[in-house]
Amino acid sequence: MSHRKVDVDFVDDEDAFVDENQTAASATLYSAEAESAVDARVNDARRLVSSGNMPAAVSRVLENPPAGPYPQSLKDKNTAIVLETLLAVRPNDMPAIVKSLSSTQLDTLMKYIYRGMAQPEAYNSGLLLTWHEKVTEAGGVGVIVRVLTDRKTV
Amino acid sequence: MSSPEVHQLFYGQPITTHAFNKDRTQVALSPNNHEVQIWSKTGSGWTLSHTLAEHDKLVTSIDWAPNTNRIVSCSQDRNAYVWSWDGKEWKPTLVLLRINRAATFVRWSPAENKFAVASGARLIAVCYFEEDNNWWVSKHIKKPIRSTVLSLDWHPDNILLVAGSTDMKARVFSAWIKGVDAKASNPVWGEKLPFATLCGEFGSETGGWIHSVAFAPSGNAIAFASHDSTLTIATGPSNPIQTIPTFTLPLVSIIFASENSIIGVGHDCVPYLFALRGAQWELVDKIDKGQKKELAANTAFRKFQQMDSRAQAQGDVELNSTHQNTITSVRAHDGSAQNVSKFSTTGIDGKLVIWDLLSSGVANLRL
Repeated sequence: MSHRKVDVDFVDDEDAFVDENQTAASATLYSAEAESAVDARVNDARRLVSSGNMPAAVSRVLENPPAGPYPQSLKDKNTAIVLETLLAVRPNDMPAIVKSLSSTQLDTLMKYIYRGMAQPEAYNSGLLLTWHEKVTEAGGVGVIVRVLTDRKTV
Repeated sequence: MSSPEVHQLFYGQPITTHAFNKDRTQVALSPNNHEVQIWSKTGSGWTLSHTLAEHDKLVTSIDWAPNTNRIVSCSQDRNAYVWSWDGKEWKPTLVLLRINRAATFVRWSPAENKFAVASGARLIAVCYFEEDNNWWVSKHIKKPIRSTVLSLDWHPDNILLVAGSTDMKARVFSAWIKGVDAKASNPVWGEKLPFATLCGEFGSETGGWIHSVAFAPSGNAIAFASHDSTLTIATGPSNPIQTIPTFTLPLVSIIFASENSIIGVGHDCVPYLFALRGAQWELVDKIDKGQKKELAANTAFRKFQQMDSRAQAQGDVELNSTHQNTITSVRAHDGSAQNVSKFSTTGIDGKLVIWDLLSSGVANLRL
């Protein structure tokens, strides 16, 4: 991602392009509401996972994720609960869950799959690859292109 | 289903852009270099009739005004030329665009008295002819464009234009020129339209820079394709936009085929048809249903032909589509703006293809 941070406008800063979609510099921005939303998501997800209702758990964690100008710590916390839920799903159940998701949720799911694969020491890449395969089957390469293009990172 | 008309004009050389003349007997195109080539129809094929070599660098866009029979071309050398036919040859007129980056896209206005050039200098140059000085003058639309403008399209009223930019926004501007245009207003886009008024600004929900923009034939809606593989339709400055996420690679060029349908081409090598069903836009289908594999007859001939066209002797590397690489541009070919019956595409594979929308098997799906 570092090429995105190269400042090509530094000699010519009149009306420069400001990217408001990257991680927020200040930790206070947006945090109170977003943090309670993440906490609620963690509780709901753990409850749904322990009761074995995986489709509901996956759909719950993919709701309204903190993407874009949020503090990195908050994004990391949310990533942890999303991937915890995803990795608790058995490969056989994945196609049915993927099928039940909306196209926005598929895009979000793919974002977290890539986010997880960026940290192979923390998350099981083998399972994430299986997720990747199922999501691509359902959403086509368009889903991958949207993850690569979207500047609102998770 | 009849198959499209395929003309392999180049081997191993892309066609960057193309534009037909009014009666579709000649086509101006750029073979991905500094030349504008004019090909004429001879029988069922095309032959090179003129080469216009005034630009120094890659020609990025060409447009052919049907009624005044003038060609405008723009290039990475930051210049635009207006070419007029004097009966024997094409005479160039240099247009002073006053830009310090490459020109990326050019289109004549519907009345053919103005044209707009998009550029990497974060501006749009709107050019009109000044009789007194006998030259083309350009006026700049700068604010609030924050990055390269990649495409634009004119509203049928000759005043408004829409521009798609790499700052992820498609914007509708007024290109009203004092002394050229009569007083203007528009029920959808704004009452007062002095030059460079911003009449609307749109972005797709998932971001992505804008490859191509188009006005609907009525001018009451715009569509744009962005690099996040979506097509977005906006019906006015304050109405909600509609983004269609697709399963394909990004589209790079789009046209409206009617008020309710859009043709999009791009990295997937096949044209797609989008249509308005009820209140909802959706991706209908591929227009190219693929070709039947030919039997491996005449193997030695095919082997050398393959070596010639893609520098490799064996392997089944053909895509199951008419174009074998990214399609770079799509233009309406036959029919009215309200009902395009044929359209033309050119691609990186050096092909010019003319498609018949009515007989392509998706006709029954149209509204």
